[in-house]
Amino acid sequence: MCGSCGFPAAPGHWTEAGAATPHERLRERFRRVQVLQKVLDQSGVTAHDGGVIPGIQVMSLSGGQTIVPDLEALWAEVKKLSGQVFDPLDL
Amino acid sequence: MNKRTENRLRLTVLGGFLGSGKTTWLRHQLHEKAFGRVHVIVNEAADAPVDGVLLGAADQITLLAGVCACCDGQQQLETLLLGLCDDRSSISDPIVRLETIVLETSGLADPAEILSLIQNHPILVRQIVIAEIIVIVDALNAVEQIQNEVLSRKQIEAADRLILTKTDLSTEQDTACLGVTLRSIAPGAMQLAASFGSPLVLRPPAQDVQGVVLVKLSDKESDPILASRLDLGAKADWTAFTVWLSALLYARGDQIVRIKGVVSTPAGRLLLQTVRKSVQLPEILPDLNCPLETDNTIAVIGRGFTQGQLAKSFAHFLA
Repeated sequence: MCGSCGFPAAPGHWTEAGAATPHERLRERFRRVQVLQKVLDQSGVTAHDGGVIPGIQVMSLSGGQTIVPDLEALWAEVKKLSGQVFDPLDL
Repeated sequence: MNKRTENRLRLTVLGGFLGSGKTTWLRHQLHEKAFGRVHVIVNEAADAPVDGVLLGAADQITLLAGVCACCDGQQQLETLLLGLCDDRSSISDPIVRLETIVLETSGLADPAEILSLIQNHPILVRQIVIAEIIVIVDALNAVEQIQNEVLSRKQIEAADRLILTKTDLSTEQDTACLGVTLRSIAPGAMQLAASFGSPLVLRPPAQDVQGVVLVKLSDKESDPILASRLDLGAKADWTAFTVWLSALLYARGDQIVRIKGVVSTPAGRLLLQTVRKSVQLPEILPDLNCPLETDNTIAVIGRGFTQGQLAKSFAHFLA
C-alpha cells in the first residue's frame, strides 16, 4: 500500500511470480530478454532490457520503439510493430 | 530468507446451470462443515430470493439478489468482497479469522468472468485466491443443456470438480454417456456424484461407452477439446515457460480452455491456473521435502493444437 495515496501499486504480473528476492528478479529479467531475443529472431522486432529502467524495450527495424511493462503488453506491441500476431506454435 | 507463504482468503466458486442442485449440494456441505470457517455469498438472478432462506445453516451469509455476479452485478460483488477482506484483515488471530468464501453463482453465471473480476482488481488480487471452481451437473437434463446452451458448456469447461446430481434418478447407461460427454468438454476435471449433497459412488464408464456428439454452437468450436501435458523437466525454467505461455495465450487465447499445473521456482512451488485468457496470480504452495511427481507438468486443455506441437514449440524457448 502506498503511504501517500493509500492505493496499492499494481501487483506484479503473473509472469513475474517466480522470483522472491531482488537478486532473483534481476536475474529473471535478463533471462526473459535472452529468451525473447531468441524467439523474436525472425520477426523483425527486437527486445532489450538492461535491468536499469523498469519494463522491456521493444524496437522494430524501422525505428519504432516502445517500453512495455510486462509480457502481456509485449505481445500486443510485437503485433503492432511487426503487423502480425506472434504465434509460438508456428515456430 | 523466508519463503513467502500463501495468506490470501480462499474463494470457492460454485456454479452450475439453473436447477442443477447447487443450493441443495451446498446446504449439505455446510451442514457437514466441509468448508471450515466460511462466509457464503449467494447470488440469485431472480428478485425474489429463496436460496438465502434455504441456507440458514451457514454462520455468515450474504445474498446478492436481482443481479448476476458475472455481469451486471460485478460492482456489488466487488464491494461485498472488499468488505469481507477488510473485516478479515482486522482480525490477526488465524484461528478465528475467515478461511473461505463460497460464492454460489446464479445458474446463468460464467465462473470465468468472476476469475477475471478478481484478477483485474488491484486490491482483490492480493487478498483472494480462487481455490476451486465446482460445477454441479444435473444428470437428467445436462445433455440437453450442453447441446443448446453455450453458457452450460462454458461452466463445465471452467470446472475443477464436476458434481453429477440426480444420478439416482437417471439410468446407469445415461450417466455413463454423460460422463464421457463431460470428459470431452472438460478432460481435466474430476467427476463425482452426489444425491442431496451426500456423495454417491460414480462408476467410471466402460470403455465402449460413446458420448453425445456435440452440436457446434459457434464457429470457433470446430475442433474437439483435447487435454495435453507439457513436461517442463525437473529443473523447470519458469522464465522461459512464462514467455512461452504469455505468447500462447496472446495468440491462441480463444482456443485455450484451461491450464493448470505446479511449477517449482526460486520463489517456491507455484500453482498456476488459467480459465480461458484469464491467468490467476499464482498461488504459493507449501514446500515439500521431495517434490511430487506431478510437479512441473502442466495440463493444457484446449482445441486446435496437439501435445506434440506444444512440446516442439516450447523447446524453441529453452536453451
